[in-house]
This record gives sequence, structure tokens and C-alpha cells, in this order.
Amino acid sequence: MVPSFYLYFALALPALLALATLLRLSPAAQLRLLAFGTAGVALGALPAVIRVWAGCDEIVAAQGWLRLDALGALHVLLLLAVFVPAAVYARRYFGVEIAAGEFSAGAARRFAALWFGALAMMLLVLLANNLGIMWVGVEATTLLTAFLICTHRTAGSLEAMWKYLLMCSVGVAVAFMGILLIAAATRHTGMPATSALLWTNLMATQGKLDPALVKAGFLFLVVGFGTKAGLAPMHNWLPDAHSQAPSPVSAVFSGCLLNSALYCILRCLPLAEGVSGNTGWARGVLVALGLLSMLVAAGLLLAQRDLKRLLAYSSVEHIGVMALGVGLGGLGAFAAMLHMLGHALAKPLGFFCAGTIGQAYGTHDLRRIGGVVRQAPPWGIGLVLSLLALIGMAPGVLFLSELLVLKAAVEQQAWWTVGLYLAALAVAFIAVLRRAIALGWDSSAPPPERPSAAAAGADAWLLTILPLVLLSVLGLLLPMGLAELLLRAAMIVGGAL
Amino acid sequence: MNHILDTLLVILLLSCFLLLGTSRLAAAVRMTAVQGFMIGLLPLAIEGGEIRLRVAILAALIAVLKAGVFPWLLMRTVRSAGTTHEERPLVGYGLSTLLGVAAVGAAFWLDSRLPFSAEAHSKLVVPVAFSVMATGLFLMVARRTAICQVLGYLTLENGIYIFGLAIVSGIPMLVELGVLMDMFVAVFVMGIAIFRISREFDHIDAAQLTSLKG
Repeated sequence: MVPSFYLYFALALPALLALATLLRLSPAAQLRLLAFGTAGVALGALPAVIRVWAGCDEIVAAQGWLRLDALGALHVLLLLAVFVPAAVYARRYFGVEIAAGEFSAGAARRFAALWFGALAMMLLVLLANNLGIMWVGVEATTLLTAFLICTHRTAGSLEAMWKYLLMCSVGVAVAFMGILLIAAATRHTGMPATSALLWTNLMATQGKLDPALVKAGFLFLVVGFGTKAGLAPMHNWLPDAHSQAPSPVSAVFSGCLLNSALYCILRCLPLAEGVSGNTGWARGVLVALGLLSMLVAAGLLLAQRDLKRLLAYSSVEHIGVMALGVGLGGLGAFAAMLHMLGHALAKPLGFFCAGTIGQAYGTHDLRRIGGVVRQAPPWGIGLVLSLLALIGMAPGVLFLSELLVLKAAVEQQAWWTVGLYLAALAVAFIAVLRRAIALGWDSSAPPPERPSAAAAGADAWLLTILPLVLLSVLGLLLPMGLAELLLRAAMIVGGAL
Repeated sequence: MNHILDTLLVILLLSCFLLLGTSRLAAAVRMTAVQGFMIGLLPLAIEGGEIRLRVAILAALIAVLKAGVFPWLLMRTVRSAGTTHEERPLVGYGLSTLLGVAAVGAAFWLDSRLPFSAEAHSKLVVPVAFSVMATGLFLMVARRTAICQVLGYLTLENGIYIFGLAIVSGIPMLVELGVLMDMFVAVFVMGIAIFRISREFDHIDAAQLTSLKG
């Protein structure tokens, strides 16, 4: 089969499934379609990922407008690793609501259609080789996911949706300014307008681009896409959206949506670095924003009383670690890729468990939940262990990656960075550990209102244990094949070992 | 000198002042429709004599969407939300207009410091683009009704579009169509969002959506 066919297939499948959800199905059937359909999309996209993983440099389709390289393949892999469990978990999460008569057929249809639409658009962002098409994809994910936040139409979810919609739309509009500036920088390359905005062409003609315009464009792109990625100080929408959305959606937001926006910044980074003469100017921007995000998130983690907001601020912190790692470059870029992998395993797990425990207790208020290890076995254990993994407890992938980021900073003798990085990690560690212990073993909290919602089943054990095993095994022993993919992805953004 | 182009740009600038100075939502929506129509004509005016088919199609599409479909969708939203006026703006209309004048001044000053105008089709394009963008951002911050914030967003997008016309020789057709489609979905989604908010809260005062904190 022609490799380019894989890319068309990966994009067309979710789009077709989005149409299929418009059939009149019962809510339960709609959720089955969601789970099996998402698994189908994963199977459809895997051949392309595997081909690149196995050593093929890139797959190109549509006359160079679609392209998958190692960086893209890693992101697609992580996207699928979040979406598939989230779709399986959605069956369980909304199953509880169907039983309570709170999830109508219309709501299920809308949810499934937007789910597949968002999946298609995120894949488009990762597969697009054209800066403009990438922008179209990012804006489309904002619009499609907005109504996923208010699946339950409460005052809080509407407020969160409106904030998300406006902040991210404006952010992405700012990013478009950046794209225009970069397009303007190609004036003297002599390329026709239709092909000037292709990544591959931009990278190939770096020498002829106007440096001042590219630099200005990069700043606009970082601020614009950084809003969507949840980098501080543009992160205000994030805790609201993550805490108000239903848990499967929160998992997708944290594990994929933020990463796909960061991915756009990662793409621009080598361009801005190359054009500005590899002085580390563009990297410095990312280091500063990464550290700021970590510090802001760490401070706010201390004050959190809501379980899902706690997880949301932890996402701001982790996006900060990724930006910092990539900004440091070299080993740091590799560590950032590894961190992305660990975060994509740990954070959705945290949101799944928080969602189910929230359903059982009827609240996400940390003061009214406690002793979950005994009260709700697989979910409680999963929640506590995912929180521990997220603060970088050994053995875990995130421990390893945070250590490597530290090593990269020490090697560069960036002592201020080292100090601030360690301070933020320590504060976040204490803030979350305190909560995790109370959540897990505080027996003074009232028992759950609806214990049946957190019933253990084969799917519950699978959803919680599998990521935990992966997190600890990969943290101890990273397989060569996977490390190679991470390294190849890191090298695209200026990494090395 | 391209007189038609300059005329269009001046009308765009005036529409910004009218947007800043009105409290009636219907009038504000109509003003963005006028703005959208001018935006549609801009590429034609830049082309001058020979107009290529591609440019003509895009111009027509932009004019239909921005001057027809968007205002229609927004008018429907205004009616369904049952709010006709911006009651208590965070910044009054007189002060808003004054700030608008200051923004135009700042836009011309900024333009004089930047190299864009040298290659643009008219000396007015870039400053007008900056002013329109500033107006859009200002409306989003200084107005409380959700509709005005959407109008601010559309105005911001218009400003960015004008800026693009000034500094980029050509954006690929596919990208332009994608951007327009996103804009269409954005207005559509925001319209539904406003409708739902107005049903849930009995108002579309976005400044009162402040229960989520910390």
C-alpha cells in the first residue's frame, strides 16, 4: 500500500465516525460506538505511526501538505494512548448517568459527534505540514471541544465554556498574526504563496527569511498557541474548563489538547532558532514561560480545595516542565518528550479516578473526600498512585524525566533555572502529597453517597492498573525502541543525548 | 494613490468609532456587517484593474459571510437573548470613543516605527489594521454583554485580516477557506453559547460569570 494512503485514512476515519454518530441511537449504543470507533481510529492511524517509528523518516501526502515525521508520530501515538482509554472510560462514566436518567439520547449524540470531530481536528493539527492548516485545526479544536465542557448544562460549566471559548479564540487569533508575520518573512525567498507556508520549505529556506519578522512572528505564535497550551500567564481558562468538563473530556483536554497546542510551538522553535542564528533567543522564551508556569501552578496548587482543579493546575505545571525541557535543548528536549509520555499516562488516569470518585461522593471537594483507598478500591488506589506519579515519585517515568531536565539545566550551569525549577517542584510536591495522603487514608471523612458508582469491575482494574504498570516499568527500564523514537522526536526540536 | 482603497479604509475606521459609541446591540451588529462588507471589497480594491477569478470568489465569499450570514446569526441571538442594550458598560461610551481616537494615534505612531508600510498598497492599510484590532480587543474587555464580546472578536479578526492583506502577498486559497470556515463555526458556536447562557442565567452579562475562582 502507498504510505500516503495511511495519512488520508487516519484523517478520514474520525470524520466519517462523526457523521455516523448522527444516526438515531440510544445513549448506550452511542457510547459503544464511541469506544469502538475511537479504538478503530487508533488502529487506522497506527500503521502510519509504526512506519515512521520503524525508521522511515517521514510520510508525505497531498503534495506535501500532510506530513508525519518522528515528532508528529510521537504526538499521534500519545494522542491515541489518551483518547482510547478515555473513550472506554466514557462508557463507564456516562453509564452511571444513564442509570440515573441524566444522560439523554440527544446529549449522547452531541457528545459523540463532537468527540470524533475534535479527534479528527487534533489529528489534522499533528499531520498538517502547512502552518495555516495547522492554525485552522487548532481553532477548530477550540470550537468543537467548547460544548464538550458543558455536556452537563450547569451554571459553572457554561461559565467555564464561555471563558474557554473567548480566551482561546483570541489566543489563536493572536497566533494567526504570528503566521502572517512569518508569511511576510518569506517575501524574498522567491517561493510561490501556495508553498511558502509549508514547514519543510520554511526550514529549507531559513537563510533567506527576514529574521526580525520571524522573531516577531515567533513571539505572537508562542503567546497565541501558549494560551491554548495553558502556559502561564495565559492559563486562566484552564482550571475552569478542566474542572467543569466531564472527566473523559478533562482527560483529553489535559493529555492531548494542551500537547497539540504545544506541538505547534515546538514546530516553530527550530525555525525561530535557526533564523535568529542559534543564539538561544527562542529557547530562552520557552525557558522563561516554562519556569513561570511551574511557579504559578505550584503556588496555586497549595491553595486548591477541589480535586479536579488540583489536577488542572498540575497540568499547567507539567506543560511548564515540557516547555522548560525543550527550551533547555539537548538532553532537556529528550527529557521533555519523555515527560510528555509520562504525563499522557498519569494525568488521564488521575482524571478517570477523580471522575468516578466524584460521582460516588457527589462532590470534588477535597475536604469531603477521604479514605478512598479502602472505600473505592481500584479507583482510590489509582487516584493516590497517579497523584504520586505526577509529583515525580520514583519509580516513575515522570521522576526520570524531571531528573533529566534537572541534569540538562545543571550541565548548562543555568543556576537560576535550577533553583527556580527545584523550588517549584518542591512546592508542588508538598502541596499534592499533603492532599494525596488525606485523600487516600483520612478515615474521618464521610463515606460515599453512591458507592455503586465506584464499583470495581474488569474494566476498572484494567483502566487503573495498566497505566500504573506502564508508568513504573517505563520509569525503570525504557525500551531501546521507544527511547529511539523519543530521541528522534527530540532531535527535530534541537535535542541530543 | 488608490482612492477606492483609501475610501474603504476610512469607512472601516469610522465604523470602529460607531462600534465604540453605541449601546444598541442591533446597531452594533449592523456596524460589523458594514465592516464585513468593506473587508470583502478590500482585496478587489487592492487588485485594481485586472481582477483574478480567485480573488473575486474569495471577496464574494467574505462579503456574503461577514456582511450577511454572521450578522443574521447574531441578530437572531440578540432577539432570542431578549437583551437590546448594553446596560452598564465597564467603560462609558464617551470615554470609549476618546480611547478610540488615542488608539488611532498610537496606531499611526506604531506604523511609523515599523517597516510594513513601505511595501503596502496604501499608507493607511497598516495603521487602520492596528486601530481595528485595538477596537476589537477593547470591546472584548470593556463590554459586559456576551454579544459585544463576540463583536469584539469579529472586529479583532477583521483587523488581523486587513493586516494580512497589507503584508502578505498571498495566502493559499485552502488556508483562507479554512480560516473562513473556522470563523463561521465560531460565530455559530458563540451564538448557541449565548443562547444557553441567557436561558440559564436570565442575562448575557458575561461580567457576572465569575463564580469560578482560584
